Amino acid sequence: MDLFLQLFFNGLTNGSYYALLGVGFGLIFATTKIVHFAYGPIFACAAYAAWWAASLGVPLPLAGVFAVAVAAVLGVASFLVIYRPIQVRGAPGLVALIASLGLFILLENLLGIVFGAGNKVIENVNYDVFFLGPVFFTSIHLWQIASLAILGGALFLFLRYTRFGKAIVAMTDNREMAEIIGIDTTRMAIAVFAIGSALSAVPAVLILLKDGATTHMGFQAVFMAFVTVVVGGIGSIRGAVVGGFALGLVQSLGLWKIPTEWQSSIAFVVLFLILVARPQGLFGASRL
Amino acid sequence: MEYLLHIAVMVCLYSILATSFNLLIGFAGLFALSQAAFYGLGAYTTAILLVDVGLPFPLPLIASAVVGAGVGTLLALPALRIVGDYLVVVTLAFQIILVEVAMNWTGLTGGTDGISGVPNYQVFGLSLDSPTSFLPVALLVAALCFWIAWRLATSPFGRSLRAMRENESAAVSVGKNVVAMKLVVFAFSAGLAAVAGSLFARYFNYVGADSFLIEETIYILAMVILGGAGNLVGSVLGAAILVILPELLKFIALPVDIADKSRLVLYGLVMVAILIYRPQGLLGERKTQARTRASSGPGGGEAAAVPLRASAGAAARGRTIEGRGLAKQFGGIVAISSLDIRLEPGTITGLIGPNGAGKTTAFNLLTGFLKPTGGEVLLDGSSTGALKPYELARAGVARSFQDLRLFTKMTVLENVLVALPGQVGDSVFSVYFRPAAVRRDEAANVRRAREVLAFVGLEEQLHETAENLSYAEEKLLVVARLLATGADVLLFDEPLSGLDGATLQEIFPVMRRLAESGKTVCIIEHNLDVIKELCSVVYYLDEGHAMAVGRPEELMADPELAERYFR
Repeated sequence: MDLFLQLFFNGLTNGSYYALLGVGFGLIFATTKIVHFAYGPIFACAAYAAWWAASLGVPLPLAGVFAVAVAAVLGVASFLVIYRPIQVRGAPGLVALIASLGLFILLENLLGIVFGAGNKVIENVNYDVFFLGPVFFTSIHLWQIASLAILGGALFLFLRYTRFGKAIVAMTDNREMAEIIGIDTTRMAIAVFAIGSALSAVPAVLILLKDGATTHMGFQAVFMAFVTVVVGGIGSIRGAVVGGFALGLVQSLGLWKIPTEWQSSIAFVVLFLILVARPQGLFGASRL
Repeated sequence: MEYLLHIAVMVCLYSILATSFNLLIGFAGLFALSQAAFYGLGAYTTAILLVDVGLPFPLPLIASAVVGAGVGTLLALPALRIVGDYLVVVTLAFQIILVEVAMNWTGLTGGTDGISGVPNYQVFGLSLDSPTSFLPVALLVAALCFWIAWRLATSPFGRSLRAMRENESAAVSVGKNVVAMKLVVFAFSAGLAAVAGSLFARYFNYVGADSFLIEETIYILAMVILGGAGNLVGSVLGAAILVILPELLKFIALPVDIADKSRLVLYGLVMVAILIYRPQGLLGERKTQARTRASSGPGGGEAAAVPLRASAGAAARGRTIEGRGLAKQFGGIVAISSLDIRLEPGTITGLIGPNGAGKTTAFNLLTGFLKPTGGEVLLDGSSTGALKPYELARAGVARSFQDLRLFTKMTVLENVLVALPGQVGDSVFSVYFRPAAVRRDEAANVRRAREVLAFVGLEEQLHETAENLSYAEEKLLVVARLLATGADVLLFDEPLSGLDGATLQEIFPVMRRLAESGKTVCIIEHNLDVIKELCSVVYYLDEGHAMAVGRPEELMADPELAERYFR
């Protein structure tokens, strides 16, 4: 039972992490219809940016802000330099996806060249350790949950109540209609790439504090984001949250019965089964 | 020298991988990113059978191909319900799962240690243990694999694949069994990749999971994209360039620890740059006209009356299709409720009504593209409920689409060719084992296609790509493609909208002759002049059922209908 509770809590924290990744990725995907695989390495770049800034002696919160800025700039740049020219040519959506895979390889290996191999950790991070009955956790775990609540909630309010946010939702619904009623879809696309990428920087920094950063961390991140979005349904923050928790819990509780070395396979098997059974995701597309 | 030959062997391996991947991506339009998984599957199969079981040549090679093709088909079965971006992700997941299995199922695969000690090929007592001695084998197998892929891609079956890639529902509407086609192409692609894997095991004497990671799939993808999707020669070229280029880069002095990464950065750059500046790749898709041109002969002129007989096989059989009490609901929305409709041979029936009245839904129900939630469709008195749309098309019920759905990247001639029924070359068995029969049938089909095109007046544009046609020509091509199916029941969804008066005057006689030859014709149309000119019976559809049926002038005289629609 103790093990179960601990696994359950781990599932919740991992679920928050996946959900936040899914919210950012899903926002980009639903609005622009681009499968932005390079979301992964941009996430990794954010973690490295924070590590680099911190290693120069920048205080941690500032390093986090720097990471957010780096991610946002890279996200917008990838849209302007790569995706937009492809979309302007009227190429099918899969072309953007493949280009995204190319960008993925490019960024991941550039990171390797610039920073070298190996795990980058921030030394001397102070965090509190808590015991709640049999369950062990740290303040970083709490931050993972809090960041989802704060940022997910803020994004929800932004999309629901601001003029700009409503325009983004309109574009998610029907791009052509949005254009007809005078929404500048390019500007919206730039905005969602900035917001989505910035969102990914927060879990990136938290993972850096928790486990450290590696050049390969992006693949797992973007894949989990994708699974989350697929499980939860595209174009829905609520869906991404549900999907993220479902994924985190399944993966974590799976350890109860399944040997550890298979843990990373669980998510993929789940994804595979869900897509095969329900090609449109568990909940389909719903608003917000 | 050995080093150069080693590179040549690698080019051979990657040529197989890239061409087989291209079948899937370039021809069938299926973005399944698991090619390296099948590569690995083939390598492990050969290694396990040689090391653990000790099977003699050529059984491990054959087993690799069979296992690859089998697993490919198994993956395809569920995965094919999934399209586009989702197929990409589900196959990526499959790729990762397979690598995880190879890493963790230590008993079978050696886990992270892999399997070493795979024996070399032995030829006449000679062990092929060096690049020099292995290269002839690699070349031979690569050439054989290329031939297999080439034969498939350039056959009528390959043409059907491309049609499916261009527009799946249109391919179904001309009688293509797209599910079977996808399974076949998956099996071929995976089987060929597994053959490359078998060579890998023999060449390196070692198999480990880290040679078949997702990155490997992406490199192979880069080769296909660089060479040009839909062009097999391009894939060989792409493989050669991307294998040789990094080797050349070795001459640039780079610190050892970043050499590999620089190579990958270059890969990424090349991929992105190509997609932005030359999305069709170096060679682009080949226009397959050589063979069809060779058989050109007198086409137009007196042929005008011929194709109706020719394309209908025997004279039209005079078939009646009937919908009884048809109903269709989408969730809570009722599109069609209790629709009774009967289409008779030798007549042109018109379907009119406001937008949203359910006209296109009625077509979808009659042709099996949608299953009714109530009522049934009868063809010559027997229910078609069990027939899939492609089966119904083959049984003689064909339809066009309001939004045309031409195979836009294919030529005018190919658009019609692909729709001809009962092609010998649509059978993969015949493609490989009855080439003469395929060739004869193809020549006859080209003649028939040219006749059909002459009939609608498109003989000048035979080798034009469909996307370059004018709007009127596109509409004519839609008619030609529908005629080519040889179906007896022809359902046209707004075939004439947007055409000018002169073009209409050209098409009217075509339609009339179809009816005179005993075909059952139905058109959805908004233009009442057209209806008056062509139709002998008109159904007025509104709110999902037939509000009135009768001769056009009767309906137009009805004051209530006039109020609702004809004003």
